[in-house]
Amino acid sequence: MARRLAMVVAAGLVAFLVAGLVRANGVLHLYNWNNYIAPQTLARFETVCRCRVAYDTYGSNEELLARLAAGATGYDILVPTGNAVQSLIRAGRLLPLDKRKLPNLANIDPTYLNGFYDPGNVYSVPYAYTITLLGYNVEKMRELGIPTDTWAALFDPRYLKRLRGRVTVLDDPRELLAAALKYLGYSANDTDPSHWQRAAEVIINAKPYWAAFNNTSYIRLMASGDVWLAQGYSNDFFQAGREAERAGEPFTIAFNVPKEGAVLAVDNMVVPKGAPRPDLAYQFIDFMLEGRNASELTNLIGSGNPNRAALPFIRPAIAANRAIFPDHAVLGRLEELHELDRGQRRFLNRLWLEIKLH
Amino acid sequence: MSISRGVPKRRSSSMTSRARLARWALSGPPLAFLAVFFLIPTLIMGLASFGWPGQEGGLSPLWYHDAAGWHFDLTLGNYRDIFTLKLFLALYLRSLGYALATTVCCLVGAYPLALVIARARARYRNLLLLLVIVPFWSNFLIRIYAWMIILGPQAALSRGVNAVLGLFGFGPTSLLFSPFAVLMGLVYVSLPFMILPLYANLEKHDPALLEAARDLGASAWACFWRVTFPLAVPGVIAGATLVFIPALGAFAVPDILGGTRGIMIGNVIEMEFLQARDWPFGAALSIMLTFLALGATGLAAWAARRGVKAYG
Repeated sequence: MARRLAMVVAAGLVAFLVAGLVRANGVLHLYNWNNYIAPQTLARFETVCRCRVAYDTYGSNEELLARLAAGATGYDILVPTGNAVQSLIRAGRLLPLDKRKLPNLANIDPTYLNGFYDPGNVYSVPYAYTITLLGYNVEKMRELGIPTDTWAALFDPRYLKRLRGRVTVLDDPRELLAAALKYLGYSANDTDPSHWQRAAEVIINAKPYWAAFNNTSYIRLMASGDVWLAQGYSNDFFQAGREAERAGEPFTIAFNVPKEGAVLAVDNMVVPKGAPRPDLAYQFIDFMLEGRNASELTNLIGSGNPNRAALPFIRPAIAANRAIFPDHAVLGRLEELHELDRGQRRFLNRLWLEIKLH
Repeated sequence: MSISRGVPKRRSSSMTSRARLARWALSGPPLAFLAVFFLIPTLIMGLASFGWPGQEGGLSPLWYHDAAGWHFDLTLGNYRDIFTLKLFLALYLRSLGYALATTVCCLVGAYPLALVIARARARYRNLLLLLVIVPFWSNFLIRIYAWMIILGPQAALSRGVNAVLGLFGFGPTSLLFSPFAVLMGLVYVSLPFMILPLYANLEKHDPALLEAARDLGASAWACFWRVTFPLAVPGVIAGATLVFIPALGAFAVPDILGGTRGIMIGNVIEMEFLQARDWPFGAALSIMLTFLALGATGLAAWAARRGVKAYG
């Protein structure tokens, strides 16, 4: 008995050592959005770099920034949205990138380079993008005669009366305010307090008709037919649609960029100062810039892809969807959110509390 | 307080040095623990509450040094906002209301139960006490999530309530994500903290006192109201303090069960630190909360002293 045990332990040790040799190159600490890399891509990178990837996740840019502000360190790669990149650059937290180590950077569509947050892409490389738009149950909207190409469907009580309790919006002050500002004809980046106040009134008037403020469960609620209209992210609606289809539901889910315009969020790979393994970080960024590796995330979750070399690998139905891959006409209606300053953040937070408590 | 009266007073000067050493050895570590993990963080928080938020979140430096010397960059603005904006006053009042309601519900629910356990036969007593403690064996969050299911729209409770409401011509209501759900969750997690001190108190009562009262012609109600309850006041105060203070700063329960209609001050403090990255204002809000809790403790201590004077 004891001998058998010893043999098992020895075999385990050997296996452990072999695994250790295979991954002798150490650990890459990746701090990314939840479910934001395809498992096969991750596995392939671990084989190529002969290292292990420690994957830690966050649910919002605020969570990422709050954790870094509280002193979290040890990450090699972060994947923040443009406005959060702007904040990290201003705070001097990012490492300038050596482009010579990133030959695949040439694959990125120039449309997505030189963002307002990082002219010349000194610190950041586009990873994927999403559009915050309207998702809906096609059959229900047709039946109730509600237009699906305007934010009015989300904010105008005239339409909401027919949708009571079947609508959800994002639990995110910036995103919801941006939608209301767009509905009123302002820029999503308008910071005039009186315009914010008007947008807050629009939200407060519509709130009684909404079922919930939420950031994730609308995927499931739309796929089950409980929610008919939602403000959300293009990749989430893509997943909701696929779930409804798989479950054999008698309805379809579609999503549109409203005619008033919407928010585009480009997520970028950046390397924080003090990253323990910048060499692995470079290797990871260049690996993710290869067409096939970049395409797998889009095929998995329906995210927009700034990588031209990825297009041949992307399923045609996804590549043809203008709410995932916007053409020039749609792009012209999209805006990226700019980071607020501290006074604006304080004001927005109080406005948000008022909205919530109303 | 009542205990110290019974112990003969000893002057420290008459203590031997060994006894003094032993006293410090015993009380030193917990005191040091409190100083490091309560006093110092509270002081840091207090200092931060007079600061400005950093441009990219966090805290802007409270002081700096340049050619002209030292400069302090402090403000009373965070406290001014708390006291002048209706929004925050309403939030504190709402949290106080929840904490008070939780305490009253716990008292009403726990008192009869503690009395039953205290009067039970000795061999059942430990079993009954164990049953009170059993819920602690599973994780706090899991128990709160269980309430999410119990109060959810598909559960028997919601359907029953809505069926009754329907009979009287009212529309369906949602139990989950409401002030009711928050109160329910708070009472549920706090109940043992009321039962245990009450039991500890009631268990010590001398049955002879009640017999004497009955012999002198007191009704059952008079026995309870004029003998049992006054004797139980210290237990009530201890339990109320243990329930009220955590309920005042509750954060997970309203977050999970309250939705947007059940926000308490704890959630707003979390929002200030995470969503708004506004540390000084979050610090000011939590310092105010600490003062409210201290006030409640002071009130309880004062009431306990009066209670001891009146009945002791």
